[in-house]
Amino acid sequence: MPSLRDVRRHIKSVKNIQQITYAMKMVAAARIKRAQSAILSSRPFAVKMEEMLADLGAELNEDDFKTSGVCDLFEGGFYSDSVGLLLITSDKGLCGSFNANLLKAAVKWLRENREKKIYCLAIGKKGRDFLRRLKNLNLEMEQELIGIFPKISYAHAEMTGEAVTNLYRAKKTAKITVIYNEFKSLIAQRIVCRDLLPLEMHIAGLPAKAVVAGKTSASGEKLRDFNFEPGKNLLLRALLPRYIKAQIYRMLLESQSAELAARMNAMESANKNAGELIDALTLKLNKTRQAMITKELSEIVGGAEALGG
Amino acid sequence: MENKLLLSIVTPERPLVENKPVDFAVLPAYEGEMGILPGHISFVVQLKEGILRYREGSAEEYFSVHGGFAEIHGGRISVFAETGELAKEIDEERARQSYQKAKDALSMRGEDIDLDSAQAALRRAAVRLKIAELKKRRK
Repeated sequence: MPSLRDVRRHIKSVKNIQQITYAMKMVAAARIKRAQSAILSSRPFAVKMEEMLADLGAELNEDDFKTSGVCDLFEGGFYSDSVGLLLITSDKGLCGSFNANLLKAAVKWLRENREKKIYCLAIGKKGRDFLRRLKNLNLEMEQELIGIFPKISYAHAEMTGEAVTNLYRAKKTAKITVIYNEFKSLIAQRIVCRDLLPLEMHIAGLPAKAVVAGKTSASGEKLRDFNFEPGKNLLLRALLPRYIKAQIYRMLLESQSAELAARMNAMESANKNAGELIDALTLKLNKTRQAMITKELSEIVGGAEALGG
Repeated sequence: MENKLLLSIVTPERPLVENKPVDFAVLPAYEGEMGILPGHISFVVQLKEGILRYREGSAEEYFSVHGGFAEIHGGRISVFAETGELAKEIDEERARQSYQKAKDALSMRGEDIDLDSAQAALRRAAVRLKIAELKKRRK
């Protein structure tokens, strides 16, 4: 039987923990609003970017494309036995299964590619530590970005984008895969594992061109007469890296929101559990106290009876 | 609305201007400044660091944009810049300091400086200073 003091101490410690989880929940809730609005305000930029890329692609013909110097970023670029991984995790824990699920997905991916040389870019402390712990793998850390959440800016995306493109070009990796958490809703995140590079053809409206040359002009409305400055090739060369960066920026924002949402949920349930624990402990405390009083009473009565005899 | 252009300027972090009707706009295009009036031919340009300005009635507004693209199509101008600032957000003192810093970095020519980025920083600071100057003159 624990003494009253022990139970009281236990209750107090649980209460302290509850206070912390409550505060963390509130902080996450406050931040998530900002993170969501950041996603929203980055959307026009991404949409414009895609529109322009499509316009540019529609104007471009096969030869231009081949000489533009960026066609190595598209499908069918390199064939080699090395691959790249961009792993976006959080810096801090206490966010439920957020990181665990990500790392599980990463393990699966690593297992699929274990024969190959793997180059890694890690964003977030958890992912970096995980990759560092790995052994028996042909793995090389290319870049790590720590402590950028929850204040990410486009500069981070720029840095990562450059690293990714450089890695792709310099090491001639077959592909670069990104694993991150997508923000689906406040209560659900989705693990996304997809290839960042090489780019798919369709983003520049190119397959329509390659398959049926007359298609765009037949539809009529798609045909716009654009002038370009500087030339189309130069534009495409300048635009594509930015497109990649914009994508990475979006992923970072998604991951940030998802992390906050996961943390909010985890803290919410931790808070609830603490409440239940406190209730149970309080009950126990009261029972113990009552039992003690009863015992004392019966002792007094017993003593009085013995004296008064 | 017939003789107006609709101007939108977006950066990855936020939209700066959305569908604002303007009379006239000047973009810092890749090969020199480019003035745009309603009825301009469809055009896609890359931008460099510079001042983007537009006029609406008698009011004139300045922005600094640092690299990006603009698409002119059917009475609309969509600019997307990596970074952009309203003239009133620019802090002259800070711009001057960063200008000095960039200049120092360039003149030192140490081994570990990134020449491209230092030059880019210098150009950015120069644009900011210029805008700050324009702002003062208008007052």
